[in-house]
Amino acid sequence: MTLFVDPELLRLMLTMAAPLVLAGLGELIMERSGLLNVGVEGMMAVAAACAFLTMLKTGSLTVAAATAVVAGIALALLLALYAVALASSQLTVGLSIFVLGTGLASLLYRVVIGVTTVTPTTRTLPSVAIPGLAGLPFFGTVLFTQNALVYLALLLVPALAGFFVLTPLGLRLRAAGENPRALDTVGVDVRALRYGAAAAGGALIGLAGAYLPLAVTGAYSDGMIGGRGWLSLMVVIFGRWQPGWALVGAVLFAYTEALQFKLALVTKAIPPQVLLMLPYVVAIVVLVRLYRGAEPPRALGQPYRRESRV
Amino acid sequence: MTALARRRLADATKYVVAAAVATVAGALVIALMGGNVLSAYRSFLWSSLGTAGGFAQTLNKMCPLLLGGLAVGMARRAGYFNIGVDGQIYAGAIAATGAALALERATTPALAVLVVAVGVIGGGLFAAIPGALRAWWSVNEIFVTVMLNFVAAFLTEYLTTGPWNDVMAGEAITRLIPDAATLPMLSVRAGSHVGIFIALAMAGVVWLLIERTRWGFEVRALGDNARAARVAGIPTARITFAVLIASGALAGLAGAIEVTALHHRLILGLTPGYGVMAILIAVLGQSQPAGILVVSFAMAVLLVGSDSLQRSIGLPASAALVFQALIVLSVLFVDARRAVRPS
Amino acid sequence: MSAPARLRMEAIDKRFGATIALDHAELELGAGELHALLGENGAGKTTLMNVLSGLYRADGGRVWIDGRPVDIHEPRDAIRHRIGMVHQHFELIGALSALENVIVGDEGGGLQLRRDRQARAVAELARRFGFELDLRARVASLSMADRQKVEIVKAIYRGVDVLILDEPTTVLTPGEADVLLGTLRTMAAQGLSVVFISHKIAEVLGHSDRVTVMRAGRTVATVRTSATGERELVEMMIGERLVRTAAPPPRAADDTALLRVEDVNVAGRGAAASVDGARFSVGRGEVVGLAGVDGNGQRELVEAIVGLRRTTAGRIEVGGRDVTSAAVGERLARGLTYIPEDRMGDGVMPSLSVAENLVVGLHRFVMHGGFAYRPAAIRARAVAPIADYKIPADAATPVGVLSGGNIQKVLVARALAIAGHGPTKLVVAHNPTRGLDVRTTEFVSGCLVGVTRAGGGVLLVSSDLDELMQLSHRLLVIFRGRIVADIRAGEFDAYRIGRLMTGGSI
Repeated sequence: MTLFVDPELLRLMLTMAAPLVLAGLGELIMERSGLLNVGVEGMMAVAAACAFLTMLKTGSLTVAAATAVVAGIALALLLALYAVALASSQLTVGLSIFVLGTGLASLLYRVVIGVTTVTPTTRTLPSVAIPGLAGLPFFGTVLFTQNALVYLALLLVPALAGFFVLTPLGLRLRAAGENPRALDTVGVDVRALRYGAAAAGGALIGLAGAYLPLAVTGAYSDGMIGGRGWLSLMVVIFGRWQPGWALVGAVLFAYTEALQFKLALVTKAIPPQVLLMLPYVVAIVVLVRLYRGAEPPRALGQPYRRESRV
Repeated sequence: MTALARRRLADATKYVVAAAVATVAGALVIALMGGNVLSAYRSFLWSSLGTAGGFAQTLNKMCPLLLGGLAVGMARRAGYFNIGVDGQIYAGAIAATGAALALERATTPALAVLVVAVGVIGGGLFAAIPGALRAWWSVNEIFVTVMLNFVAAFLTEYLTTGPWNDVMAGEAITRLIPDAATLPMLSVRAGSHVGIFIALAMAGVVWLLIERTRWGFEVRALGDNARAARVAGIPTARITFAVLIASGALAGLAGAIEVTALHHRLILGLTPGYGVMAILIAVLGQSQPAGILVVSFAMAVLLVGSDSLQRSIGLPASAALVFQALIVLSVLFVDARRAVRPS
Repeated sequence: MSAPARLRMEAIDKRFGATIALDHAELELGAGELHALLGENGAGKTTLMNVLSGLYRADGGRVWIDGRPVDIHEPRDAIRHRIGMVHQHFELIGALSALENVIVGDEGGGLQLRRDRQARAVAELARRFGFELDLRARVASLSMADRQKVEIVKAIYRGVDVLILDEPTTVLTPGEADVLLGTLRTMAAQGLSVVFISHKIAEVLGHSDRVTVMRAGRTVATVRTSATGERELVEMMIGERLVRTAAPPPRAADDTALLRVEDVNVAGRGAAASVDGARFSVGRGEVVGLAGVDGNGQRELVEAIVGLRRTTAGRIEVGGRDVTSAAVGERLARGLTYIPEDRMGDGVMPSLSVAENLVVGLHRFVMHGGFAYRPAAIRARAVAPIADYKIPADAATPVGVLSGGNIQKVLVARALAIAGHGPTKLVVAHNPTRGLDVRTTEFVSGCLVGVTRAGGGVLLVSSDLDELMQLSHRLLVIFRGRIVADIRAGEFDAYRIGRLMTGGSI
C-alpha cells in the first residue's frame, strides 16, 4: 500500500509531470486566445529532435533548450498564420502540423546522425536541491530536489493565472477567445494578440518537447513523445482552461505514468505492455467523466473574419 | 467558361501547385543528402512504376492506404475526425490473426473469408468505443481515437512478443497463420496480392453508400450541419455511432488484409503510420472516394519510391510524411487565397 | 444651418463579392441632433454604419468630420474620431463582468489592471446618463436591457461625439423602448450627435429630429421629422404603397386541439427551471402567438415541443397523440414541424443543394427501398416549391449562396411540406420574419396564415409585438418560464403586454 504514496514515486511523478504542465500551459495560452492547436504532438517531436541534436553538437543545455523553443515558436506561428491570416480549418492545419512535425523530427535526426550501431546519448539536466527546503521530510524529496525545468513549470502556473486575471493584456487575451469581434470594435488588434499567444504557447510547447531528451533520457528516438502532446490537450480540458486545474490534470496523468513505471519494476505478474497501456486508458476514462460541463472559450477554433456578414 | 468548369480548373491548379511544392522540396532534400536530383527522381519513378515487382509493391501499399483513406473520409463526411485508423488496423489484424490461429485445424473452405470478416468486425468494435462516446456523451473522438492507437499498439506488442510469438522467427512476430486462411496472390512472381481489388471494390461500396442511400444522405446532412440535422429529425446519435463503426471496420479490413495477404502473420509495425497518412489522403481527396483513390495511388508511389531512395541515398522513410504534410499545407494555402478573391 | 455639419458621409460604395450593398449612400449629421436612419431590412443601414464605425471598409466615397476629410479604415480610427457604435447583436463577452467589458482595450495603462479606479470612472459616466449598472455582474447573467446599457456605456467610455445605435429597441419591451429613446434625447440635448437605425416608422416619427431613408443601398431622402408622415415614409422605404395584407381568417368554433401542452417543465441552468408549468393549446385554424423578451424560456419551450429538448414534467400532445418522449422524427411524422429562429445554425445545410434542403426532414417519408437517394427524383421534387415560393435558384444550387430571405423561403417550404404530410398540420415558427424585407415578410406571414386556412394550426413565437398582434387569434405572454397571460385578439394592448413581458401585473 505504501507503494502508492512512496516519496520516490511522487518525486518521479512531478518529474514526469513537467512536460505535461509546460505543454498544457502553452496550449492553454493558445486556446484562451481562440486558437485550437491539435499539432502539439508534432511540435514537441521537432523540439525534442532539435534539442537533442543541438545538445550533441554544442554540449550546452541552454543552447539546446533555446533551439527547441525557437522550433516550437516557428511551428506555432505557422499554425497561427493559417488560422488568422488565411482563416483555414484549424483542425486540418493542426493535423498537418502533427504529421509535419513527426516526420520532420525523424528526418532531422536521421540526416544528422545517419546510420549508427551505437545510439548517441548526452548528459541530462541535473536535479537541483533547494538549500534548506531539500532537507524537509517527505516534501524535501518530492518537491525540492527536482531539475530546473520542473521548478519553472510549477512557478509558471500561478504566474499565468495571475497574468490572466490581473493584467490588461491577460484580459484582452481572454476576450479574444470569447468574442474577437467585441475586441475588434474597441480597436484592439485581435490578430496581433493571437500571433502573440501562439508565440508564447509555442515557446512553452517547444520547451516541453526539449524536456524529454534533455531532462529524462539523454537520447532521442522516434515516438518518444508518446502521446504527451495529445495528453496536453486533455490537460487543458481537465483544467477547464485554468492554469491551476490544468496542473492538477497533468499531475494526475503523471502519477499514472510513474505508478506504471514502479509497478513494472516491482511485479512480473502483469505483462509490461498492459502497464504501459494504463495511462492512456486512464486518460480516456478521466476525459469521459469530465466532459460534461467543460465550457471552452466561445470563439475557440473559429476563424475571425472582420467583414463576415453577421 | 462556365462557373463549374472554372471551379474544376481552380481545383486542378491547386493540385498542380501542391505537386510542384512537393517536387521542389524533394529536390532540395535529395540535394542536401548529396544525391543527384535527376537520377534520384528517375529511380524513384522507375522503382515504383517501371518494374513488375515495384508496381506490385505499389499496389500492395495502395491497399491499406486506400482503405484507410476511405475510413477517414467516411467519418469526415459526417463531420468527425477518426485519427485512430492505425489502432483500428491493429485491432482488425489482431482479430484476424486470433481467428486464424484459433481455427488452425479447421477445414472450412472459406476460412480466409471468415478470418477477414472477423478482422472487419474487430476494427468496427474497436471504433465503437469512440463512436459511442461521441454519439451519446459528446466526447470528442479525436482524443479517444489517438489514445486507443497506443492501446492497440501495446496490445499488439504484447501478443507478438508473448502468447502468439513465434520463437524461431524473431522478437515481435507471431506464428504463421494456416495456408487456408491466406488470401491469394495476383501475381506470385511480381508479389502483388488480391487486396487491391478488395480495396477498389470498397471504394465503390463507400461511394454507393454515401451518395445513393438514404443513410448516406443523412450522414452528409449531419456532416454539413449537425444541429440542423437534428431539427430535420435525423437520429444523429445513431448515425454517429454507425459511421464511426463503419470507419473502423474499413480500417480493420485493411489490417486483416495485411495479415492474410501480405505477411501471413501479425507483426509489430504492421502499420508504419498508414493511419496518419490516411488523414492527409482524405483531406487531399476531399473525402470523396474518387479523390481518395487517386491520392492513395500517388501516396503509394511516394512510399515505394522513397524506399528505393532510402537504399540509394539514405533518405529516411519519414521524409514521405514531411512531403505529405507540405502538400496539404500548400493546398490549404491555395484554398485560402481563392476564398479571399471570390470569382 | 450655416456651420458645416458635424459629420457627412458622401457617395459611399460597398460591395460584397457580386452583391452591391451600398450605392453612393449619403448621410449628414449635425451636433446635438437625434437622427433616425430608416429603411426596411436589407436596405443597407447597418452596412453604412459599419463603414462609419470602421468595421467595414468602403470601396468608394468620403467621410467628413467638422468639414475635414477623414480616413476610417478600422475600428481604432473611428474611436479616434470619437465615433462609437452600439451593435444590434451585442458585442459583449458573456464570461466577463460588465466592468471588464467596458474597459477592455482601454484599461488605463500599466502592467496591472486597476479595477477599482476604472470602476469609479465608469460608474460616474453611467450616472451622467441615468443608468444604474452592477459593474461586477457577469454579463451573461444580465437582462437584455441591462446588456444594452453596458454596450452604451462601453461606447461612451471612450469619448464620443457621434453615437450610433443599430435597431436598439428590438430587444426591449415597449416601456423599456420609451425609456431608451428618452435617454437618447437627453444625450442629444447634451451635444452628442445620435443616430439610431430603425425599421419601425412609429418609433422614428415619435423620437427623432430628422430622418434619412435608405432603400436598396441608396439614400432616398433626408427630411425633417416634423415635416413628414407615415405614408410618405413608407413610400420612400419601399418605393410603392403597400398595405399589410396578411391577417388571420375569422376562426370557426372548433374545439379540436392540434397541440396540447400540459404543465410542462423544462430544466434550466442551475436550480431555476427555464419553463415552469406551461399550459396552453393550439386549435384547428388558429394562430397562437407567444410574446416575451428573448431569454424568458421561449426557446426552451419551443425546443421541448419540437423534441430537441427533454421535459422534466408534463405532457405534450399532437393531434391527440402523446409525444412527450417521442424523438424529433416521430413528431415530424405526426405533422409537427419547426421553422427555427437561427436559419443558418439550425435550419439549412449550406453545402447541400436547394433540392436536398427542401427534402431533408421529409426524406424518411419519401425515400423508400435500397439506394433510395435518387438525385434526379429529388431535383424533380424541388421544381414545384422553387416556382411556388419564387426562389431565385436552381435545384442544384448550394443553399449557402442564397440570401437570408430566400433561405427562409426554403425553410418555410420545407416546413409546410412536412406539415402537409402528417395527420396533423402544426407549424411552430420562431421569429420567422426576422431580418427579412417587407415583401418576403408579407409572403412568409401569408404562408403561415395559409396553414390555418387549410385546417392546420400555428404557434408563432416572436419578439416582434406588432407582428404578433397582427397575426394571432390568441396571444400568450411568457415571463421567466411561466405563461402569465392568454389574451384574445381584440383585447390586445401593446403597453399592457409589454408590462406583462417584464413581470408587471395586468
